[in-house]
Amino acid sequence: MLSIASILIAQAAAPAATPADFWLPSGASNHVAGVDTMFHWINYICYFFFVLVVGMMVVFVWKYRAKEGSRIRLDGLTHHQGLELSWTIIPLLICIGIFFFGFRGFVDLTTPPKNSFDVNVTAYKWGWTFKYPNGAQADTLVVPAGRPVRLVMRSNDVLHSCFIPAFRVKKDLVPGRFTTLWFQCDVPTGLDEAKGYHLFCAEYCGTGHSNMNRKVLVLEQPEFDGWLTKQAAWLDEIPDEELYFKAGPKLYARCQQCHSLDGTAGLGPSWKGIWERVSNPTGSSAFTDGKSYADLIGPGKEYGTPEDYIRDSIYNPGKHLVAPYGNVMPTFKGQLNDRGVEAVIGMMKHLDEFDAKGAWTKSVPVATK
Amino acid sequence: MSTVTAPRPHAVDHVDVPDNYLTHSRGLLSWMLTLDHKRIGVMYMGAVLASFLVGGVFALLLRTELLTPGRTIVSADTYNQFFTLHGAIMVFLVIIPSIPAALGNFVLPIMLGAKDVAFPRLNLFSFWLWIAGAGFTLYSLAAGGFDTGWTFYTPYSTTTTTGGVIPVLTGVFILGFSSIFTGLNFIVTVHKLRPPGMTWFRMPLFLWALYSTAIIQVLATPVLAITLCLLIVERLLNIGIFNPSMGGDPVLYQHFFWFYSHPAVYIMIVPAMGIISELIAVHAHRQIFGYRFIAFSSVAIAMFSFIVWGHHMFTSGQSGLMSTIFSLISFSVAIPSAVKTFNWTMTLYKGTISLTAPMLYGLSFLFLFTIGGLTGIHLATLNTDVHLHDTYFVVAHFHYVMMGSALIAMIGGLHHWWPKMTGKMYDERLAIAGCIITFVGFNVTFFTQFMLGSQGMPRRYYDYQPEFQVYHVISTIGAYILGVGFLTTAVCFVQSLRSGARAPANPWGGRSLEWQCASPPPHDNFKTAPRVGDPYDFSMLQWNPAEKGYDVDPVREAAAFAAEARGEQARGHA
Repeated sequence: MLSIASILIAQAAAPAATPADFWLPSGASNHVAGVDTMFHWINYICYFFFVLVVGMMVVFVWKYRAKEGSRIRLDGLTHHQGLELSWTIIPLLICIGIFFFGFRGFVDLTTPPKNSFDVNVTAYKWGWTFKYPNGAQADTLVVPAGRPVRLVMRSNDVLHSCFIPAFRVKKDLVPGRFTTLWFQCDVPTGLDEAKGYHLFCAEYCGTGHSNMNRKVLVLEQPEFDGWLTKQAAWLDEIPDEELYFKAGPKLYARCQQCHSLDGTAGLGPSWKGIWERVSNPTGSSAFTDGKSYADLIGPGKEYGTPEDYIRDSIYNPGKHLVAPYGNVMPTFKGQLNDRGVEAVIGMMKHLDEFDAKGAWTKSVPVATK
Repeated sequence: MSTVTAPRPHAVDHVDVPDNYLTHSRGLLSWMLTLDHKRIGVMYMGAVLASFLVGGVFALLLRTELLTPGRTIVSADTYNQFFTLHGAIMVFLVIIPSIPAALGNFVLPIMLGAKDVAFPRLNLFSFWLWIAGAGFTLYSLAAGGFDTGWTFYTPYSTTTTTGGVIPVLTGVFILGFSSIFTGLNFIVTVHKLRPPGMTWFRMPLFLWALYSTAIIQVLATPVLAITLCLLIVERLLNIGIFNPSMGGDPVLYQHFFWFYSHPAVYIMIVPAMGIISELIAVHAHRQIFGYRFIAFSSVAIAMFSFIVWGHHMFTSGQSGLMSTIFSLISFSVAIPSAVKTFNWTMTLYKGTISLTAPMLYGLSFLFLFTIGGLTGIHLATLNTDVHLHDTYFVVAHFHYVMMGSALIAMIGGLHHWWPKMTGKMYDERLAIAGCIITFVGFNVTFFTQFMLGSQGMPRRYYDYQPEFQVYHVISTIGAYILGVGFLTTAVCFVQSLRSGARAPANPWGGRSLEWQCASPPPHDNFKTAPRVGDPYDFSMLQWNPAEKGYDVDPVREAAAFAAEARGEQARGHA
């Protein structure tokens, strides 16, 4: 028991990546030592009681099995106060001990240090957006090494749960309130996604639940600072005429779970032919409320231009629903700025230049250099 | 009158089978409108086993889909519907009614030496409510199915576009009332219909377990009904209760849901523990060890079950203080469970253990419940639960408890009371083969999932990382073995019905009252009021080779009753 205490206290010291064993995966955060030690100690207790109970069972069954012609024995004990008390009190004491150390670990898990670096996390069906204090946004969680990181998390639609097995942390994202979790990872991965730690959604959220996984990349502080600055400006740095094919596919990655490019059926309408539909609106009913594109788009209508319609469909997706689709799309208000919307619209206008997966198939014009 | 002496042809057929509840009246209506608790129990058993088959087929489809990452046989949406159906069917249609409503209905009144339950009409009504609830669940499939998970967590359940959500909620609501009525019936029956001489501490432990279960059913299930009503109201009328976009709180739903569904876990396991007390004592022919501790631990578990629900929510966003309190209280459930396990093990000590099929199921239960119970410690502990919550570790844990323990006990109980219910014996070797294959298949399937979960694989995943595949393949192979095990058991039972040898009144050497009436029991259970003795005093039993069953040595029985009378007299004078 002393060793648990000493390791729990030592938790504040810098940990290193632990190798995976039979039970637990490789670990790389400050929480690993506490959780893993606790897990293994509980295992030892379980092994002991399992062997005790099953061992007694096997021995008794073998020793006292009925044999041909054996008579019913009547000399077994029917009760024993001392035994009953001992197997009530000893497990009780063990349980109180386990509770206490689990509680100590939980306090560490839920109390972020004051100097932690905050990242805002938004989950939606089915993806994650990570926002940084300088306005940068990313689909992958990139954090500095050797510094406590606190995730301030919210959900746009239903329950999700942020689970990073290598860090031994998990917390639900609940619509309508903020939840937090924190960790410190001292083992950098660089910007190589293959080396990143898994981040899973652990709370069931529908069709794309099992594909809501992302990577956590850990960078040394100087490299992280550089990445952060660059990330904040990535949309602005792209020249206007390159926006749709440079930014478009990146942004489309968030849309592709529901909207195909080649007409394949999905949870939302395919983008195939979308620009023709909205720029030459016809009068035939297209929406669940019976309205047509021509009812909504055009001078003096609800949307003066087709661009207005697309933009509002991204910001207020439930307002007009294309038949027969349901109201399932989350809003991207606050996540996609005007320039992002511009890139998406540009991509819709030039869909013939993209393959079915959203990769741009033309070569980069040389003239812009 | 002289012509009557020649027997009519149809009477000749039954000349060696005395009138019993199965032959008492004939025709479909005589079953559908029966007030006989035994027939209702048998109908429940048939319905539960049919549901078990459906839930089991979904389980095999799930495991097959998980053989490879990505699509194996079905789409993600279909997979989500499959695991939801598997969970909902197994919880609401199979495990919750299996022991109390099916076995309990058959056994409880006979164990009490009573003619029937206290309210036979209510009993029949609760069966038909079950059928109606199952009907709504079935209808929900036609209405578009549902993909909410059996927990119906909001706001997903109030916003999903699948059309079967409201029908299935209605179905579960109705099933809840079926459960409440059964519980109510059992409480009154145990209080009012015990025969003279059967004090509380003369009751077989199965009755203590059913009584404790009934209390939970009556107190907790209404909360589920209210919760589901609120969910329907929110989904149908857009009144914001749980959905934050309408001013509700999704965590509130989790509190409501688990306030029922954690006690529901004990609705499933406590009666199973009662069966195990019977199986182990009867087949070891040994006075049960620590009767009072086992009896009181059932009541203790029933009480603790109401105050531990928050341990399902350590990562939900509930306050850290609440998580801490719920963690502490959750450990309290470990104590009565441990007490029971040790008492069962000690009952084997100096017994005369017959390794019959029911006993092997009892021993399987001890093995599996020990694993299921001990892994609960990992999940009650705050910091390890944060890592393990919503992973396959939880899936493995509750399958060890719900299936490895509750269902295995149910099937063990079915083997134990099968001769009594049907009047037929089964092929013991085939039954033992079924038990062993099931046991092996179960462990291969679910022990693997402990590692899968602790290594970080979240539950309810259609697609997964390639490093998890080896565990999934092993688990799926185990599931097929498990399927073969249950199939073997099914073949054994069908064979028994077709050509089983006639069962004696007391094939195992039980001492509780149901073994004192014929197999199958007559319509009224007992012709004369049975004599109530100690249900675990096996001293007067003797093997009767002609009957191929046990009977009571009248000399030793008289001696036992005389000794008891002297004891009572002595206590009376003191």
